[in-house]
Parts: sequence; structure tokens; C-alpha cells
Amino acid sequence: MKRNKGFPEQLNQQLKDYEHTIAEELSDKLADNETALRQAFANCSDLVVRKLHAFGSIPCMAVYLDVLVDDTMWESGFLGPLLNLELKDPDNPARMTEQIRTEMASVAKPVMTPSLKETVQLIVRGEVVLFLESSKQALSFSIKDQLQRPMEEPSTEAVIRGPRIGFIEKLHINMALVRHRIRTPLLKMEKITVGAVSRTEMTVVYLENKAPQNVVEEVKQRLATIDMDSILESGYIEELISDHPSSPFPVMQTTQRPDSVSASLIEGKVALLVDGSPIALIMPVTLWYGLQTVEDYYMNFIFATLLRWLRFLFAFLALTLPSAYVAITTFHQEMIPTSLALSLAAAREIVPFPAMVETLIMEITFEALREAGVRLPRPVGQTISIVGALVIGQASVQAGIISAPIIIIVSLTGIASFLIPHPGMSQAISILRFPMVLCAGTFGLYGVGAAMIAILIHLTNLNSFGVPYLSPLAPLSPSGLLDVFIRAPWKVMHKRQKHIQQKLELEKK
Amino acid sequence: MTLSRIWVGCLTLIACLGFLTGCWDRTEMDDLALVMASGLDLSEDGRVEITLQIALPTGIPSALQSGGKAAKPVLVVSAKGKDSIDALDRLQQQLSRRINLGHRGIIVVGEKYARRGFDQVLDTLLRSPESRYNSYIVTAYGTTAKKILEAPYLMEIIPSIGINKLQYSDFSLSVKTDKFIDALASFGKSPVTGAIKIMKQGAGQQTYIIDKAAVYKRNKLVGFLSGKELKAFRLVAGRSRDMKLTTQMEPPKKEYKGTVTIRLLKATPKIRTEIKNGNPEVSVSLNALGSILSNDTSMDMSKVIPLVEKKFAADLQEEITKTISHTQKKFKSDIFGFGNRIHIEHPYAWKKMKEDWDELYPKASVQVKTVMVLERVGRTQAPAHQQKK
Repeated sequence: MKRNKGFPEQLNQQLKDYEHTIAEELSDKLADNETALRQAFANCSDLVVRKLHAFGSIPCMAVYLDVLVDDTMWESGFLGPLLNLELKDPDNPARMTEQIRTEMASVAKPVMTPSLKETVQLIVRGEVVLFLESSKQALSFSIKDQLQRPMEEPSTEAVIRGPRIGFIEKLHINMALVRHRIRTPLLKMEKITVGAVSRTEMTVVYLENKAPQNVVEEVKQRLATIDMDSILESGYIEELISDHPSSPFPVMQTTQRPDSVSASLIEGKVALLVDGSPIALIMPVTLWYGLQTVEDYYMNFIFATLLRWLRFLFAFLALTLPSAYVAITTFHQEMIPTSLALSLAAAREIVPFPAMVETLIMEITFEALREAGVRLPRPVGQTISIVGALVIGQASVQAGIISAPIIIIVSLTGIASFLIPHPGMSQAISILRFPMVLCAGTFGLYGVGAAMIAILIHLTNLNSFGVPYLSPLAPLSPSGLLDVFIRAPWKVMHKRQKHIQQKLELEKK
Repeated sequence: MTLSRIWVGCLTLIACLGFLTGCWDRTEMDDLALVMASGLDLSEDGRVEITLQIALPTGIPSALQSGGKAAKPVLVVSAKGKDSIDALDRLQQQLSRRINLGHRGIIVVGEKYARRGFDQVLDTLLRSPESRYNSYIVTAYGTTAKKILEAPYLMEIIPSIGINKLQYSDFSLSVKTDKFIDALASFGKSPVTGAIKIMKQGAGQQTYIIDKAAVYKRNKLVGFLSGKELKAFRLVAGRSRDMKLTTQMEPPKKEYKGTVTIRLLKATPKIRTEIKNGNPEVSVSLNALGSILSNDTSMDMSKVIPLVEKKFAADLQEEITKTISHTQKKFKSDIFGFGNRIHIEHPYAWKKMKEDWDELYPKASVQVKTVMVLERVGRTQAPAHQQKK
């Protein structure tokens, strides 16, 4: 599959050439190894080569990158135990290495390697590598400095009820957060490294027996085909392994919440945790996930159901309200109730632009305000709200440049787009809103209808890792609808899950 | 990469469309003259005069334009023409905004024009795509449509909305255009409309009143029904919502006028037809349910209900019989739609008589039966002035 190409082809080649120059085998001469490593890490000011004497007399050297190693661990966990070792078998250098490995196992995690290439990789990853004179094996100790921030509540997915913890940028912490919630050996976490330069680690997480084997295989296979220099965020992966990268609709769920990931895993989905990114990917998903939150499952199911209806309504409004306004006021004036028609006409009386241009101006302004609000440093943030509300909202109406109904429509649309919990889904609707307005302004409600049908056709064509995007509505599976338009009580949903499980087992037999 | 080429092609075509603005058929709200009501009159020289009442959005008070001088909420314009198209063209020449009939709720027909008879004017007025078939049609009596539309109405900002609400409440008789045209087009039923006139109320104030029904024969106005006849017509037509009926139970005395008034809760008319020796016979039966609203007699209503019921039934029978014979003798116009009933019940006989229905209808014999049931006395105690001890 020619899915993606590393963008700077040349760089990739250079890197491969460079790696080629590193010798495969370790030398048994300490000095040779040092020269080779110093050459590999030329101009790296943070490289430290410490010459030591193990067992009192055997020369050895520890090589590491200063910035990646924990200073206290280095002293108490590595240097101290190493210097206190007593020699058992002085004639056999191989046995010496083995002795260090076994006896220091209590303080760190030593790994033995005979390859120079691998030691380079280990050093880059933040391990301390120990070379012994006349030994062809190097030992690496993991005493990494855990550069991490505290786990905080994810600001983008705040809840009223629910855990306050969110993923951070460290992969193993994120893995631990998931493990803490699903305590079974059936929870599998497979590590994969992607990216020629960045060598980003990521884990494919799934529950055996729950997640369909073909989906797990498909995810792993797609990850294997990625040919990129660097993966700096899970967004790279989302785009690279997506079924439909050019569709506005997200075919993967993104979340910062471990409870959200755990819930999806139990439903039989596959999650992908990427090192360096606090955002986990969940696949496969359907359209409806964009309109659900984890909190739906924590609160009263009646209220959760009403909330879902509210989100459906406002998602629809976010998509169609501006275009419906444009279509009706410029093409189908007879559809508006008479008194409303009169006040709309009165509001439009001195406005110089056609309704479509007016709507586009205000929609673009709104998107700009929203974007400015995200990027602005917090102290300046208030300025935007004042400028937005007063200058653009009130003054433009008073000056007769923009009609008041447009302000209402645009702000209602704005609120509606913020009601969609999934940012990817919200973006999809924002993207589609503008062509909808253009269709409405040129063809009226006919255009709006045609655009809606086009979107619907597109949605039915979408697939997320083999799962139709509109399921369980199309293709219809009535029992699946218990968790789409309503949030059924847990007892009902649990019964249904058991039922499905039994059915599957029967089919296997 | 043929797919991306197709995309680029499509986008280029769409981008080109942006420059072809010539056939953009949009109309902004502020480019429309929203017609609220239109009127049809016959001018002295025999031409059609069309009057339009157009809403002026700037004259509608809103929060944005609080204060300042109140502008006029409507503009009334009229023009004469050979036919309605001609007149509308002349009107358009006076107006800077395009005439839009999408919000027309009322069509007023002047009495003179109605008596001469409808021609194609109604057709052209309704042919435009925005024109609504659910706008009300009323006949002006003793005046012209132009005068009705020019009259200010204080209760509503836009006068025609006042007429619209009067019709909507169905207090007298309201007929929508589709029903009117339906009757106009059928052999077995004659059209009726509500009839409107202006009432002077003290100094400079005036209101509309819709207290009559205009009776048409084919396309010509032949007369009006009012008062008890209108009520009888509404009862038989099944349009008796919220109707009140009064009867004289006793001869008036010093203290009492001797009348009892009831409110109709429900009235179910039933029309059956029979063909006997080739002659149509119609029987009308009416089952009515009511409750007593006022008692201005010396009687205790809870004891004399059967009496009152009988009196009302008899009254109703008399009124309905009188009204039907009135339409047979004077108007010769089947506004009750007896012909349509014959069409439904005796389709083969109807085929033979439908062409001559206008002549047959006055001769048809009509039987009227009425039953009145009073459900509630409305009050358990005797009225205050009767409680004297």
C-alpha cells in the first residue's frame, strides 16, 4: 500500500547512510568502542563518557546522555552498587559482565547487547550503557529521568461527575492509567515503534476475546506500513492510518481520558497510546460517538438520554441553521410566519449585503474569534470577548452593516457547535457549514436538501476499520440502538451484551 | 490519480459558476413588497380596480427603533386595468419593491364587483406560485374593497391582520380561497363568503364587522344572510363553533325579559337525500348539545330542562326550514351543498340532474328534524335576583 511517504525523502536516505557507517559489532577494546561512540555522537555536548574501575581493577566505561539520566538514580542506583561489587571470576570477561547483570538486577533493569548499533539506540533512549574492557557485550541500565508533568484533569473533556485524571505525555504512565482500570491479563498492550528519526513508541491496547481479531490485525498492519520520519503526536497516526483521510468526519475517536479508553476497550474496541501525546486514539468508531460523552454513562440515564437528544438537535442546527436562514429569507419568504417575516424584513431594511454574504461574513468572523480565543495568551483573552461581543456584535448591528437576526443565527450556531463533545466532529460540521451556506444562497432549500443528501451518501460510504460509519442505524441492528438515540439503563445494556456474547459463542460451536 | 483530476475539474466548474451571476434568482427580504391583503373592485368605467395593502417593515415598531416618529405601517395602493394582470402591472410601476403575494391573508371583493360576477381575475390572482389558497376571501357589503383596505384599524398594527384574526376566530363565517373555488367549480354547491363592512365607533375610530354571509349563485353575488339565518346556515354547514342561541321562554314581564340563552357545545348536522319519482328529497337532521348560559325568566332551570330543550329544538327547526326555503325561493342558490350530497348518495341520478340543478334545487322538498339536549344547567343555585325570601 502506498499510503504515505516520509516527506523529506532525502533526509531519510541520509539517515540510513549515516546509520550504515556505524559498525555492527562491538569491539572488545574499550578505546575502540569509545572512538566509535564519540564518532556517532559527534557534536553532542550532552554525551558523557565516564571511565571507571569495576571490581576495583577492571577498567570500564559508562556512556550516557547527561540530560536524559536521573542524577540521584545514577549515584545511588548505579554507581554505588557497581563499585561495591566483588569479583568472583577474574579470568573470564564474559562471566564478569554476566555477574554485573545478575547482581545489579535489584537496582536497575540491565539488558545485555553485543551490537554497537543497538547501544547507540539505547543511549539515545536515555539508558546508561556500561562497557567492560575485553568484553564484547555491553550492559544497559534504565535509570531514565522521568520528565513528566503531573496528571491533571483534561481541560478539553471536563466532566461534572467522573474521574479527574487525564493522560500525559509519557507512554508508560498512560499505560498504567489504563491498567489501573482493567485488571486482567486479557488486557493486551503491544508495543510498536514508528518513525525513522523520532522512533516513537506506541502501544496497541485491546482486550482479548472482546476486540475482533481482524480489527487488531488491521490496526497493527496499518501501523507497520507507516513510512514517516517522525511521529510527534497521535494526530499523525490518526491521519496516516485513517480509512478516509480526506473525509471531514473523524473515523477515530480521540480522548484524553483513561476512563473513556477503558470503556471503549471493554466494548471491544482497540486503543492506541502514542508516546509524547496525551491524546489516545480509539477505533473503530461510528458517527454517534461524536455526540456521546463518557459522562452519559455516569449520570441518570433519563437525563443522559435528554442530553443526547439535545446534542442531536444542536448538531443538526450547527450544520443547517445558517443555510436554512439564507435559503428561506432569500428564496422562500412565504414560508416564514407573517409577523416574523415583517420583523426580519425590518431588520434587513438598511443592510447593504445579500443575506448569504452577510452570513458568510459573520460565520468567518466567528471562526476567527474562536481561533483567536484558542491561541491568545490568557491575560489578553478577555480582550477578544469584549471585541467580539461589543464591536462585532452590537456595533455592527447599530451601524446597519449587519442585521440583528444574523447575529442571533451565528451565535446560536456557535453555541451549537460547542455542544458537540468530540472536537473532530465539531470541526467536521464547521467545515461543512460553509458549502451548505453557498448551496443555500445559490439554490435555496433545494440546495440545502441536495447538500444534506450528499453528506448522507458520504456518511453511508464511510467505514472505520470495517465498521460502517452509520451502524447500528444503517445497516440496522435494533438492539444496538439502545445506546445511540437513548442511553438505556445499565441493566438493559448489560443483558444485551451478554445476549450478544452468547450468540457469538453459539455461532462458534 | 484520476480521482484528484476529477475533483479539480469539478472545483473549477463550481468556481466558474461563481462568476455567472446573471441568473441568480434570489430576492432579499428588503426587496419585496409584502402584500398583506388585496381587494377587487369594479370601477365606474367597467374596468377592474385592484387594491393592495402592503406592509411597511420600517413602520413596525421594534426594540431597535424605539422612540422617534412612528411611521405608517402599511401602504395602500390601487390601480385600474383591463384585467388583473394589467392592473398588477400598473401597480408594480408605482412600487420600488417587487410585489410578493406570499403573505396575503385576505382577499376582499367589493359588492359591486361581486354582483357583476367574477371573471378571470381570481384565477390570475391565484395563479402566481407564491399565492396561497388558505387566504380568506371576504365580500364587502355596502362598500368597496378599496375602502375596507384603506380603513385604519387600531387594534392591530396592520389592518388586514385584524381581518385575518377576525376570520380565524370563526365567530361569524370564514371561507378560505380553496373552499370558495371548490364551490365555484362544482355543480352541487354554491359559494359563500363572510361579508365585511366598516363600523364607525365614535370620533374617528372605526372597526370592521363581519356579521353576514354573502351568498353567490355561480359566480355572482345574489344576497346576504344575517342574524338568525346566518346561524341556521352555520348549524347546517357544521360551522357552529362557540355559537350562542337565545329563545323566548315566557312573555316578557316587568322583572324578566323571559329569555334563555344557551351555548352550543356540539352540533352534528346530517344531510340525507332520496330520489322519489325522479325528484330529490332532502332531509336535514341536527343533533345539538348545549349548556345554559343565562336565564332571565322566573323558572328554575334545573326543573324545566325538557321544556327548554323542546323549545330550542322547535326554534331551530323553524329557523333552519325558513333559511333553506329562503335560499330556494329568493337566491335559488344551493349554499348548503345538497347537490353534492346527491352526487355522493345517488351518483347515477345526479349525472342526469346536475346540469339542471339550479332549476331543480328551488323545487326540492326539504325536511328538517332537530333534537336539542341540554347537558348542564350551568349553575346549581337560582340566580341572585330570584333568591329573595
